[in-house]
Amino acid sequence: MIPISDEDLILHYYRDGLDPARITQIEDALFASEALRERQATMLRALDAVDALPTPVADADFAARLWQQLEPRLFERAPIAPRESWRDRLRAWVNPPQLAWMAATCVVAFAIGLGFYAGRQSAPAPDEIAQRRADDAAVRVLDAYVSAHLRATEGVLLTASNSDSAHLLDGNRELAASLVDANRLYARAATRAGNTQLAEFLRQLEPVLMSLANQAPSAAIQVNEGLRDYLRTTDLLFQVRATQARLDRNGERRT
Amino acid sequence: MTDDEARWIAKAGEGDAAAFRRLVDAHSGALFRVCARVTGDRAIAEDAVQEAFFNAYRHLRDFDGRAAFSTWLHRIGVNAALEQLRRRGRGGIALPEGDDDDERTAEVVEVAAGPERTARSAEIRRDIEAELARMSTLERTAFVLRHHEGQSLEDISMTLSLNIGPCKQAIFRAVRKLRAALDPLG
Repeated sequence: MIPISDEDLILHYYRDGLDPARITQIEDALFASEALRERQATMLRALDAVDALPTPVADADFAARLWQQLEPRLFERAPIAPRESWRDRLRAWVNPPQLAWMAATCVVAFAIGLGFYAGRQSAPAPDEIAQRRADDAAVRVLDAYVSAHLRATEGVLLTASNSDSAHLLDGNRELAASLVDANRLYARAATRAGNTQLAEFLRQLEPVLMSLANQAPSAAIQVNEGLRDYLRTTDLLFQVRATQARLDRNGERRT
Repeated sequence: MTDDEARWIAKAGEGDAAAFRRLVDAHSGALFRVCARVTGDRAIAEDAVQEAFFNAYRHLRDFDGRAAFSTWLHRIGVNAALEQLRRRGRGGIALPEGDDDDERTAEVVEVAAGPERTARSAEIRRDIEAELARMSTLERTAFVLRHHEGQSLEDISMTLSLNIGPCKQAIFRAVRKLRAALDPLG
């Protein structure tokens, strides 16, 4: 007879996670085996005892009380923001998400420009030295910006996995969202520059950043635990740091 | 989801307080029930329900109608309950003891109960409650969602942002612990 585990009996009870063939096997085994029926009965007694516990019922005035507390929070008028000084406006402009996006756009535009320039220079009369210089400059700029991008990504991962502050996590989500776009642009630029290894690594980062950017605020605990587990089981954080260090070293070597 | 509910959701999304109030009235009881089972504490559950509705209101525009509104709301509620537990540093949760429902449970477990059997049923209830309180938060939450809320493993994994495997294992462990709690009593 095919062995039937306790897990099979549990899934059979809930009719979940088993294919029809396995359900039939379990039912046949239950029909044939007294011992298995006894095991199932013990499990059902436990579940019946759980069902016999009183159902938690909210007080009669719970909804009214809830609304009384909820309404002022939901519909409070947004306070009028004080007029910002030029310093605040400048600080808002150079905040990390905007900076990341601007930097990514600039570096890609710069890389494309250099590539175009190098192409123009080499087209009529191939000038290998000029081309190499242009390529080196493009790669150096790309490396420097990707290194900064990875530093920001490392910060986002560490904050998401270690921070308990809802305020910090809200900001972290916005930062992760801005890094998704930058990450995509850097991956494309790395592909264009022929650095497939870097491009591939950046593509691996994208789903992690996206899941952090799209996480509902109330799911913070699971995200933190899930992310900690993920970072523990993969060496993603190590790879981020190692890639960043490699790019920094490359930059130093080239200058 | 009824047509009325779809209308309330749309209006609440535009900032209509009365429409959101209707959603609160319609769903607060069920949300309290699941939060109370996850937390094992009525006061924490009430706070969780309030946070859940607050978060739901803020993200109402994100509700795309692919899942039922109650499923979406319960997902937020369960996470709000877990957040409340975490804020209070409550890994293991003590269920309230000795409230007015003792006799009711005993009657359900043993229909024709004499004094000895009533005592035994109360003992079973205490054992089960103690076992639920001893379970890890993940085990209890996954079990509550599967057993009481009837959620599929897939829905549970979405609610808890985990793969199906760990959710399944958590439910297995929970059921095994409950069974072990009853074993000494035969």
